Parts: sequence; C-alpha cells; structure tokens
Amino acid sequence: MEIAKDMDLYQKLEILSDAAKYDVACTSSGIDRKGSGKGMGNCTAAGICHSFSADGRCIALLKILFTNECVFDCKYCVNRSSNDVERAAFTPEEVCRLTIEFYRRNYIEGLFLSSGILKSPSYTMELLYQTLYKLRYEYHFEGYIHVKAIPGAPQELIEKTGFLADRMSVNLELPTAESLRRLAPHKTRKKILAPMRQVQLSRKEHKNELMLFKNAPQFVPAGQSTQMIIGATPENDYQILSVAESLYQKFELKRVFYSAFVQVNQDAELPALPGGPPLLREHRLYQADWLLRFYGFGAGELLSEKRPNFNVFLDPKCDWALSHLEQFPVEINRADYYTLLRVPGIGPKSAQRIVKARRMGSLDFTDLKRAGVVLKRAVYFITCNGRQMYPLKVEEDFILRNLMYSQSRTPAETVTYRQLSLFDDDRMFGEVPQQLLQAGV
Amino acid sequence: MMIFQCEDSVDGIFTGVYDAWDSRIGHEAVALRIREKMDLELFAKYREVETDTQKAAKVARSVRSKMGQDAYRVIYQAALSANPEKADSIYRVIVRGMSANVTQYEAQNVIWNLQSRDVCRVFELSRKVGNEAHRYFQFVRFRELDSGVLFSEIQAENQVLPLIGEHFSDRFPNENFMIYDNGHNDCLIHGKQRPWFILRDTCPDEAAKDQLAAREEEMQELWKGFCKSISVEARENRGLQRQFWPLKFRRWMTEG
Repeated sequence: MEIAKDMDLYQKLEILSDAAKYDVACTSSGIDRKGSGKGMGNCTAAGICHSFSADGRCIALLKILFTNECVFDCKYCVNRSSNDVERAAFTPEEVCRLTIEFYRRNYIEGLFLSSGILKSPSYTMELLYQTLYKLRYEYHFEGYIHVKAIPGAPQELIEKTGFLADRMSVNLELPTAESLRRLAPHKTRKKILAPMRQVQLSRKEHKNELMLFKNAPQFVPAGQSTQMIIGATPENDYQILSVAESLYQKFELKRVFYSAFVQVNQDAELPALPGGPPLLREHRLYQADWLLRFYGFGAGELLSEKRPNFNVFLDPKCDWALSHLEQFPVEINRADYYTLLRVPGIGPKSAQRIVKARRMGSLDFTDLKRAGVVLKRAVYFITCNGRQMYPLKVEEDFILRNLMYSQSRTPAETVTYRQLSLFDDDRMFGEVPQQLLQAGV
Repeated sequence: MMIFQCEDSVDGIFTGVYDAWDSRIGHEAVALRIREKMDLELFAKYREVETDTQKAAKVARSVRSKMGQDAYRVIYQAALSANPEKADSIYRVIVRGMSANVTQYEAQNVIWNLQSRDVCRVFELSRKVGNEAHRYFQFVRFRELDSGVLFSEIQAENQVLPLIGEHFSDRFPNENFMIYDNGHNDCLIHGKQRPWFILRDTCPDEAAKDQLAAREEEMQELWKGFCKSISVEARENRGLQRQFWPLKFRRWMTEG
C-alpha cells in the first residue's frame, strides 16, 4: 500500500478522523491546569465537550490517527493490513497546525492522537513523540493531550512521551487473552499490559517527586484509560465487569471505556449482528462502571456466576436494590452518605445536598425533589421522618411492575393497586414476553 | 409595603439590598424588584435605588466574610439570572445569613438550607446560570477577522459573560478576542496580555464582523468535515445529539 503523496489537508483529515472514530475515549477530564500566560490553553478537571456528532457522542478532542497505515491484521479493525482502504499520514507539522487553529477557535479542548503501526511500534511511537514535542515546545500548546502508548515500543520513548501528554491509554481491545489471540493475532495480553504497568509505576514515582520539588515535571497527570470491545467475543457481562474492576484496582486506571462492536469487516471469526451494535449492553456496562467508581459497588455485588448478564429492563442499581429489599426503606434524615448513595434515584450530588441540608432541619419529599432526587425511582426505597410518600408496598413484584411501566411518572399518577379478582392470574393479561423470563423476572 | 426598584445588574441588586436594609423599615415590610421587569402592585410605595458601586462592594464584602466564598458565588451567579424574582430572594437569603443572632457556623450553612423557599430559589437560579455558562465554555465559536481579532456571537438567556471571561482569557492570553452577547447587547473584550472587561449596551460594528481572515473559511471547512467524518453511522442517534446540543445554540455555531 502506498500513501498518496499529493493529498490535501482536507482529504487527510477526512480519512484519518474517519479511521479514528471507533476509539471511544474523547474525554478531556481529569486535570485542572491554569494557563501559564505565555502559550495557549488550559485544562478543566470536569472536561468540556465542544460539539456532538450525529451519533450523539461528544467531540471534545481533535481525534485523529497519525496514520492509518498498519502492519497488524486485527480482524475487528477497519485499518487492518489486509483491508483495501485509502491510506494517509499526517506530518507532525500538519497535526500541530490543525490543533492550534482548531483550539483557538474554541472548536476543541485538545488533541487525541492515536496511530496505526507504521513500520514498527517504536518507529510509530517516535513519530507521536516528535509531534507532541513540537506542539508543546514550538507551538506552546498547553491544552489537553491524550496519546496512545503503543504496545511494543521501547520504555524510554513511552516515558518521554508521558511527560508531554495529559492522558495516556493502551487499548485492552478484548476482555480476555483468549479472545485476543483469536481476533488480534499480532497482539498478546502480556504486551498490552506491559506499558500499562509502566505508566502506572511512573505516575506513582513522579507523584513522589512532586511532593519534594514543586516544579518537577508531571507524568501523565490526568491518568490512563483503556477500552474494550463489547460483543465481538462470547464473554458475559460479569467477566467484562470483573476485568474492569481489576483494572481499576490493580492498574489504577482513571477510566475503562466500552465500545459496542461495530461490524466493519466481514470475517468468519466475527459474529454477525443483524440488530446493529449491542448499544443497550454497552449502556448497562457504563451504568455499572459508574457504580464501581462513584457509588462504592463491587462487580460481585451487581452480577454473579449464576446471573452473569445485566437485566435488560432495569438499570443495574435498581436491579441491585430490588434483590436487596431487606436493606430498604432508607430513612433520609438519618442514613449516612454511603447508604443514601445506594438508593436508586439518588446520586453523589443529591446525596451531598441531602447531607448538608439536613443539618438545618429535617427534610421532606418536596425538599428532596429540590435537591435533585429522582423521586419516580426513589419513592419505593425511602422514608422521610418515618413516612413514605404514598402508602407503597416494599415488595419486589410491586416495585418492579411500577418501575417498568411508569417510567416517567410517580406512583400517585399511576395505579398503585390491583383489583383482586377470582381469575387473578398473569396469563389473563396475555403472554409474558420471552425477554422478561430470561431476565429472571 | 415599600418596594425598592433596582437596576438589573449585580451591583444594582446589591445596592438594593443595602438600601432596603438601611431604610430600617423592617425586612417584612420591604421587597426588592428589578426595574422594568415587574408588575406594579396596589397599596405599595415605590423607591428608586440609585446603583452605587461602593454600597454594592460593602454588601459583597460582608457576604463573603460572614457567609463564606461558596455562598457568595451562589448568590452572585443567581444575580446574573434572567428571572426577575431573583432580587427579592437574594435579599431574603442575605438577611438570613447576616442577621445579628445568627452564628458564623449557621451563616456559612444558610446556602445549603434547601428547605427554605428563598434559599432554594437562589440555589436553583444559580445552578441554571452556572449550567448555561458551562454551555458557553462548550459552544462559543470564534472566527478570525481580517484584523486578527477572534470574534464570537452568542445569544444567552442569562448574563453569562462575567462567568466566562476568566476562562477564555486564561485560555487565550495572547489573543485579541471579543464575545458579543446579542441577547443583552454586552461585549466581552480581551486584549493580548491585558485583563478582560465587559462593555454594556454596545454592539460591534456590523460590517467589521463579517470581514473574515484569509484562511478562516478553509479552517471552517476542515472543522465541518471533521464533525461529519467522526460520527459512526451504525450508531446514529439524532435525538441524543439534540439532547446534549440543543438547536438554539447551533444558530451561532460554525458547524451548527
């Protein structure tokens, strides 16, 4: 494959952003950094999304590949070497110019630079390093940079690049070593985990240095992330979530991203997905991921060997609460912060507001609404001063029925009782859908 | 009832708070309203508030020192809101925090007392204004004019310019830029290596703001192309896109 030489910048950008779009991470979060007043740019910890593409995903960073030329032949990837797609490559100069010009128009929050493997991992990493160096030291760019660490590249190069970037990531690609062997024959689990470990250790080391010297350079200050493809291989949700949990605990990752498998290649090893990418599954995994990171849940609490997949109809938190009804209802005016967090409909923000507000006096249901609690989910699980909002049964079937059929309403507006009848039997209302039975309802 | 009519600005409201308190009529017998944004009431007397930056600064200083920086920020943001009821609620909250019989600890926590109607309104308004300001961190789009100035036009509901000035001047210290809020007719102006400021009731020269720099259109094309090619067709979801990126913002944006 030859890289066309006479391509203009527009075509290159089109090809290389198109090739990068299957990478999920587009966050610009994790670090608060003021501008130095000399160059251009700053960072905010919450991250800023600047636009949204037609698929509803945010555009925060200029997400491009340095080149889509690749020596590897991973079966799920558009850029696999055996695919006949148009190939292109940027020069470091072009990447810098694009980044700066987009950034000063407030189009983007920074640069996300990934790459196919051109010639060899170390050659590619060298190119990425050169680009970042130019951007930081010649263009004085102080915005966010997310760069890929290429597995197989020499340690020194990754180390040097880490001082220029805010976030580094190595893609785990697939949840298990076995799947990786099948779909990405040129990659091994060991090779992928090596740079991940290196970044983790270097971050720790340089944090210690920062304690001693105020101006010591920062190494990957916004932490590292990774991503897994969901639905290309037969792993269940429990396996995937356990992998994510151990990545958070053992590798101290900031984020794990899940990407629903999109069929771009035809290959005997890949599953056919007539219904499109498994978006609901991806969504449930993200919900559970949040529960791991901000709500103090463990993977083992949400799923188990016996029940390895998420409920299609309920979010993981409601699902957990329904199977642990013995811990409810929770008294809003007395329960501690962590107990509040476990109530469906209450998140970290509203839990904090509740804790602060009840110092000044007891809380009522109207106050909860003001604090941002989602009452349509929370009502079943809470009491205020010992009273429920409506007389509701704390009973699994009852709550489940209401949660599912009154998605947008509180029970006052829906029927909260059922007329007893001689023929009180579910079959009277038609067939129970197959999916409901599978979900274990 | 004595109604104090103040100007629709932070200084105006704070001066109103000062005057209403200073009038010694009694907190129950006074109310604050925004001039031109109110309905006249029967059986009420009206008093005009002359905006006075010194009085406003005094109020701001005491709020900061007694109720804390967090509370000040919440109140300040609420004062930028488009909701005309803000003035009276802010007055009630400040009265609660600054009363003589309130301890320092209580004063610092007044802003979290969401059980109170006024605190809750101030809190909500403040959150709305803060959220809108964040939208403009996201959605301000600059275009380069042939004078080298970066120009942006927005149409904000609340007065967000004071909240976004710091962010953009920290980000672009070496640029000359201007953000024009055509809803309020205010301009945020920043000169290279100079502090930013806001000009009220000024609109930029119509002709100058359409004279683009030579490479400007090329950059806009590149950006539009990028936004198109970064989307995954198999996942297309316009509803989700609209939820995060409401149509009202797009009118003023390059790729909108």
